[in-house]
Amino acid sequence: MKDGRLQRLSDELAQAWTVAVKDVKVYYLQPGMIMFGFLMPFFMFFSFSVRREMAAAQGVARLLALTTFFTAAAAGPFIIPLERRLGTYDRLLAAPMSLLTLLLGKTAVGALFAIGVSAVSLLVGVAAFGATVARPWLLAAGVVLGSFSFSALGLIFGSIPTRNPGDVQMPSTLLRWGLLFISGVFIPLAEMAPAAQAVACLSPLTYAQDLMNHAVLRAGLLNPWLDLAVLLASGILFMAPPVWMHRRARRLGY
Amino acid sequence: MTEAIVVENLTKVYGRPDSGVLAVDHINFEVRRGEVFGFLGPNGAGKTTTQRMLTTLLEPTEGRIVIFGHDLAREPYPVKRQMGLVPEESNVYTELTGWDNLMFTAQLYRVSGSERAKRARELLETFGLWEKRNVKVENFSKGMRRRLSIAMAIIHKPALLFLDEPTPGLDAQSARAIRDLIRQLNAEGTTIFLTTHQIEEANQLCDRVAIINHGRIAAIDTPERLKQAFRRVQSVEVALEPDGGVHGEALAALPGVTTPVKMGDKWRLYTEDPSALLPLVMDYAHAHDLRVVSLSTLGPSLEDVFLEITGQQVGTVRHETPEEKPRRQRMGSGR
Repeated sequence: MKDGRLQRLSDELAQAWTVAVKDVKVYYLQPGMIMFGFLMPFFMFFSFSVRREMAAAQGVARLLALTTFFTAAAAGPFIIPLERRLGTYDRLLAAPMSLLTLLLGKTAVGALFAIGVSAVSLLVGVAAFGATVARPWLLAAGVVLGSFSFSALGLIFGSIPTRNPGDVQMPSTLLRWGLLFISGVFIPLAEMAPAAQAVACLSPLTYAQDLMNHAVLRAGLLNPWLDLAVLLASGILFMAPPVWMHRRARRLGY
Repeated sequence: MTEAIVVENLTKVYGRPDSGVLAVDHINFEVRRGEVFGFLGPNGAGKTTTQRMLTTLLEPTEGRIVIFGHDLAREPYPVKRQMGLVPEESNVYTELTGWDNLMFTAQLYRVSGSERAKRARELLETFGLWEKRNVKVENFSKGMRRRLSIAMAIIHKPALLFLDEPTPGLDAQSARAIRDLIRQLNAEGTTIFLTTHQIEEANQLCDRVAIINHGRIAAIDTPERLKQAFRRVQSVEVALEPDGGVHGEALAALPGVTTPVKMGDKWRLYTEDPSALLPLVMDYAHAHDLRVVSLSTLGPSLEDVFLEITGQQVGTVRHETPEEKPRRQRMGSGR
């Protein structure tokens, strides 16, 4: 029985990886996405640094938080509605794997893309602007956990029962830009009013930004372990709505 | 156990059970191991909804599905491993090559590494796609995509294969190749659940057929027995010269004719007793100095049976009775 469960677990992990690799080949290794991945960090960096007096390291900390946040959910929310429209999603749903495995695979691919783009951002920051990283392992943990958390957040929108990717665009964009304004990216957390800080605590991006500040600048406001714990917990928590939405869609026939 | 599928009181309401739309209404049937089971019905009858419930894509509102002895609601995993699904649309990844599509599916169904490539090669050769294995599927024709879609559904050698409308839109050669393949798979022991509205295809392929209409099973039997049960849709087909399309009223008035239907240069006269009608048709021809170009009796075709059961037209006359009017309605709206 135990062997059977281990075999099943091993199968499910392999299936999640298979789904992720397939999505990389089909959706991410396309010229548009590759260009997006390389150019996004530059645009982000210049958007937030031009005409501002900002040290390179400070810019890199901000850049890393933003690139993980924006790229982890860059394509994920739109892939599931597209696959629903093409009928390929039925192939995945009918396969011998759990719904959680499928969603894990979908989350992993967004996270992998964000990790890759963050690596490009870091290289640009270090090579072009001479930035240094104070705590590399904290940075690595932050990028990985942040990427998973933000990718899972994107999956909530991908689970809206629609076959039209456009239906997902509006709510997904609204939420992401909303979080951007409350999360201590434009105004550092330490400079916010207490009420604004309380609101910022609701956003996972706040913890990602704080963690990057710790990792690059040694200057975060919150405990870095709290940042890591919140990113991990939010990543797990964000998996719950997609599971519920998929089950509801299957039950009601949407 | 001889049954591959047992369906009991299967019901699907789209939306909320108390206010949604009833698509499948308490249906019961069994599919035996090793048979080709045809699931026929007009558009919107509930065929695809039933198939989606059988393949776990939809959750039944009520009822039970048992496949190979496993209750699908409680034990979907062992069932999913044994089934393959070919949906109506060829759901292949057009950005990948034919080979990559097969490899992806094989990995998803946990086909062992050593078996994967061997099986993919076998299938690509069988389906005439080996030469195109490294071509992206976006460059495939519709028939090639259909064949690849079937290959993907059987790469893990499923014991049960669901096929939803496998041949519409294909050229005659591709359609015939797919029908031959279905026969071959069945001969090798695969149970086939064929959803179709192509009656002649069901007639040629199926051991038994179920006809679903307005979400309810209207008949289940072998094609031949269904035809025998509908002897009233036998017919006499006659071609007269000169025709001119002027004989309809006179032929309709012959004793025993229930419905005359003009079919090209012929008249098809539906009757319960063709042997009694034949001499009357000959007498009519002699009396009006007409030459009988051809004269034949026809048993009921599966299409006639289908149209009779589903209350659609046989020729020009509707066979629907008030009791057979659509039963589907919103739940909770006076039902």
